[in-house]
Parts: sequence; structure tokens; C-alpha cells
Amino acid sequence: MLKKAFVSMALLMMVTFLMTTPGLAQKVRGVTDTEVLIGQTGPQTGPAALWGAVARGTGLYFKGINDEGGIHGRKVKYFLRDDGYQPAKTRAIATEFVEQMGIFGVVGCVGVGPGMAVRDYYTENKVLMVSFGCSGVTNWINPFNRYIFATYPLYVDEARGLTRYLFEQMKLTKVAVFYQNDDYGKQGLEGVEHYEKEKGLKLVASVSAEVTERDLSSHALKLKSSGAEAVVMWAMPTHAALLLAECAKIGYKPQWATSSTLSDSPVMMQITKGLWTGMILSYPIEPPDSNNPLMVKYRAWHQKYEPNERWGTFYYSGCVYAEPFVEGLKRAGRNLTPETFIKAMETLKDWRGGIGGPFTFTSTDHQGAKYVRYAQVQPDSTVKILTDWVRITK
Amino acid sequence: MLGQLIVSGLAVGACYSLLALAMVIIYKTSDVLNFAQGEMAMISTYVAFTLMESHHVPFQWAVILTFLFAILLGASFEFVFLRQAKEPTVLGLIIITLGFEMILMGFAGWKWGPDQRSLDFPVSNIETYNLFGLVMSKINFWTIVISLVLMFILFLFFRYTKVGVAMRATQQNQLAARVMGIRTKWILSFTWAISSMVGAVAGMLIAALGVLDPTMMMDPLLKSFASAVLGGMTSLPGTAVGGAMLGIIENLFGGYVSLAFKSVVAFAVIVLMLCIKPSGLLAKHYVKKV
Repeated sequence: MLKKAFVSMALLMMVTFLMTTPGLAQKVRGVTDTEVLIGQTGPQTGPAALWGAVARGTGLYFKGINDEGGIHGRKVKYFLRDDGYQPAKTRAIATEFVEQMGIFGVVGCVGVGPGMAVRDYYTENKVLMVSFGCSGVTNWINPFNRYIFATYPLYVDEARGLTRYLFEQMKLTKVAVFYQNDDYGKQGLEGVEHYEKEKGLKLVASVSAEVTERDLSSHALKLKSSGAEAVVMWAMPTHAALLLAECAKIGYKPQWATSSTLSDSPVMMQITKGLWTGMILSYPIEPPDSNNPLMVKYRAWHQKYEPNERWGTFYYSGCVYAEPFVEGLKRAGRNLTPETFIKAMETLKDWRGGIGGPFTFTSTDHQGAKYVRYAQVQPDSTVKILTDWVRITK
Repeated sequence: MLGQLIVSGLAVGACYSLLALAMVIIYKTSDVLNFAQGEMAMISTYVAFTLMESHHVPFQWAVILTFLFAILLGASFEFVFLRQAKEPTVLGLIIITLGFEMILMGFAGWKWGPDQRSLDFPVSNIETYNLFGLVMSKINFWTIVISLVLMFILFLFFRYTKVGVAMRATQQNQLAARVMGIRTKWILSFTWAISSMVGAVAGMLIAALGVLDPTMMMDPLLKSFASAVLGGMTSLPGTAVGGAMLGIIENLFGGYVSLAFKSVVAFAVIVLMLCIKPSGLLAKHYVKKV
């Protein structure tokens, strides 16, 4: 009797030991011999659906990568879910991703609001978040989180860089800001204020608008009466169009400058009825008609897989957000785990293997995008790149 | 700056007035607040856009076809959704309009996508008329003219035509109106059709002033609601006065007090008005006899 009990105990202990020993029975979630499972959330419906193109662009990129044979014998199995830019939905999708599908990571998900709702959950479950948010809001990367790799320039740095460009290259000292009254807009304001403070200058006016506001006539008057030579704008496309029209009406023609979020020049040119000409843009990727060999390849993929999609900057920026992820997979090698992936990503130093700026990740800093170029919108809606890559993050 | 703020306020106020007018027409006959007004106008504007952009229909024909569409949309909404409601209360009908609003918004997102578009309009929103040093864009000027003319026509219609009088009778007492031989159901459909058409005019002008996208009417609808409360929910001239006043108040507040709080002024106006004079500036306060 005692012998039987002893044998059963021993067996039980062995089984427990085997189950808890890494490398023996455990396998990595989302990684099989032939596949890596990746999730992505992005608004395909609702008021923020404009940015949903980013998510579809990432899908195009993965299709191309899979057709080229995948990475280390593994293909990317990719799930796109529509969260309508609603954090509660993003959270529900996250549970589905982790507990039902068992994904390895998420790539290029859209929206900081939705991101904030799932950051802790993904971190607890060791889900890698590469290019999540597609946004440069600082509270996404603070405090430091090993599982987050950010590939979008910080808005604060972008705005500071733009003001520096206006001041140093265009000799414009009287600068005003027009911003959307939320996190995104306020970080634009903050960036401009940083630079003005550094140089001992004074911001001549800061004018804000609520997201839903549709009448910007008094905003335009305020900007005009401030006498600003240049206006840095941190807003949505609709506000940009309304403000430019109002300013044109009252004969106010400052030098405009804006963030990469308004870099879709053909759309902006159309909705501003040509007033977008001359806009100075902070430009973190290649222009749509670039001859960069990768851009040529991506355009070919676009023609082959998704010819009905418009080749706009939001769409192909979906590729930019996935490029560092695929590079990380390549560097991590066949033995892919969250740990080996993180270590591999942290070896990217001024990496220029994609259509974005140089990316650098270290063990203490996962804000990879620190460079932009400056561009100016031409009358035919193309953009002229004015500078080489300029470092904007200190 | 003061003069320019007032002129710009008047211009934007004209848009509020037009949409408020569309709301008031329905409210006058059925006591229902139509929350789908904005989205109905948005869909009609998209129809005009599609006709011109994809089918290359000339502007004036596109406008006529859009009006026909708007009339159909309004009448069929009344016929398909509201009339079928079983023993409806006013609140129930309002909830139906809210539901319809969401359906239309979803439909527009699916059909035309979220991208901002530009509606080709024969009058420029950048070229201006100058008057004593004050500027007003051509489209702003024509918006004011169009809203005044429409208001005048509707005023005459309600006051002097048989159908107009029948509409007012329907609002005051449906049963008595029916007894007097008025086809009240037909009158209700007709009201929705006219309101939808006026909304389409507002939608096209608002899109031409800014951009066309599925969310473009959210803010104007709220503002027009505030204008209607300010001027009086049952008064046509009240919507004109309410819209103009709201536009000016907002602009003066934005110009001299705070731009950050400019967009909430409209709601302060609603609250104030409901406390001081709930019937609005120009509407007569009447109590229904039971």
C-alpha cells in the first residue's frame, strides 16, 4: 500500500516537473514551425476610419513577405480586426487575440486611446506591441515597457523640429500654433513652446479648436491679428481645410507647417481646393512616388494584391510600421520567443532597411523613430523633399 | 475685428438657421425632434456629390435630382419607420429618429468611406465680397440669401396655402384635423419630405463651406438645435433670428473671451433659454388644453 502511494507520488512529481520545465513541454504562443501569428486592430468603420488604411497597408506588406517565402521558413498569419477606434472593443479583441487565436504580437494597431486600454493586458501576456498606436503621443512609451517598440516620431519632437526648421532655415521668428484641443494637438503646442523657450522667443498666439467644431472663422481672425509669419498646425484634415479657407478669405497668408499626420497631400490638396500648396511637412517616410527600390516593390505588390486601394500615405505607412517587426523576426532567427525577439530588436542601430527613417532601439529606449525629413507641397500635389534625415529627438 | 466677427458669425449662423428650419418644420407638425436631420442632409449631399463626381451630371441637374432624392428619403422614412410604430409616444418617435441617424451614418461610412471629400460648388468659398472693409466669402453671402428666401417661401406656404394651414391644424389636433377632412397621414409624409429637402440645401452648403465626410453634420446639427431653442421651436422667423444670434454670440465669445470654450457656448445658450423663456424668443408660449 505504502509502495503504491510512493510510486504515485513520484509519478505526479515527475509530471509536474516536466510541465513546469521550460523548453521541454512549453511552446511559444503564436509561433509554430511554419507560422507566426500576428494581430492588428484598426478602425475600418466609424469616425476614425480614415486611419484604417494603415491597417490594410500592413496586410499588404505581410502578403508580399509571405509570397517571398516568409521569414526563416515561417509565414505570417495575420488577423485584422475592426475596433472602430473604441477602446472597449479593442480590449475585447485583445482577449480574442491572446486567448483564442494565441498571437505572438500585434503590429501597426491604430490609436493611442485603444492602445492604452490594452497595454497592461498585452504586457502581462508578453504580447509584443510593435508600432502600436501609430502615433507620437509620449504617454504611450512612458513609462518604459520592454514589449513596446514605437516607430512613429514623437509629436513633441516633431513640432519642435518643425519650429526649428522655420526659424533656422526659413528665418521665420513670429510663430503661432493652431492645435486640436486634445492630447495630439497639445503635444504639438508643447513642442513649439519648447523650441521658443530654448531660443528665448515668444509664441505670438496659440489657438485651439474642439474636434467637432466646424466654424473656424474667429480662429482665423485671431491668428491674423497676432501677426504671425508662420503657423504650425496640429489638427485633423477637416480643421486644416476649414482653417486654410477661412484664412484665405480674410487675406491672411502665413507660411503653414504641419505634422506627418496630414502628409496625404493629394487628399489635402483636393479638400483645400489647392490651398495646401507650399505647406511645410515633417515627413518621416518616402513620398508616394519615390523611386526607392522598396517603394517600387511595394507599389508592385499593391498592383498585384490590392489594386482597388488608393496608394495614399496612410495606406503604405502600414508597411513602414511592419518593416522593423519583420527585421526583428529575421534577426531573432529560428528560435523565436518574445525574449529572443526583444534582444534582436535591440540590435537595430540606425537601421535603414525600410522606407522610413533610421530606427534605433536599445535596452533602455524603445522609441525607435527619431528622424524626419522636411518637405514642401508642390502645386501638383506632389511633395518636394527639402532636407536629408534630421534628428529631432535628443 | 468686431465687425468681421459679426459678419462671420452671421454667415455661419445662416447655416444653423437652415438646418434649424428643417427641424422646426417637423416639430411644428408632429412635435417630434428629428435627430436624423443632420444625417439625412449628409446622405443627400453625398448623392449630389456622387452624381457630379461619378456620373458627371451638371450642377443644376444634380441639385434637382438631389432634391427629389431628399423628398423621397424624408417621405419614405416617415412612411416606413414612423407610421408603422404602434401607438407611438413622442419620445418613442424621437428614439426612432435616433436609430435612423445611426443607420444612415453607418451606411455613409460603408458606401462612401471615411475620406474627406470636396463638393464642387459653383460659388467659391475663398473668393470674397468686400463691404466697408469687411469680407464675406461668396458662398457665405449666398447661404444667407438662400436661407432668407427659403424661410420667406415657407412662411408664405404655412400662412397662406391650404396645405400649409392643414399642416398647422395637424399639429394642433390630429383628431380634429382628420374629422375636418384633412388627410393627416399624407400631411405628415409631406412635412418630412419638405424638411428633408430643406436639410439637403443646408447639407450641400455646409459641405461646400468645409468638407464632405460622414461626420460633417454632427456639430451643425447640435448648433441648429440650439438656434431653434433660442429662436423658438415653432417659429420660422425664430430660426433665422436664433441662428444669426448664435453665430454672432459664438464668434464674439471666441474672439474676445476664449476660443477654447467657444464650442460650448451653444449649450450654455440652450440652458439659459430654457430657464428664462422656454418657448424661445419669437414663439408664443401656449398651453395645450386637456
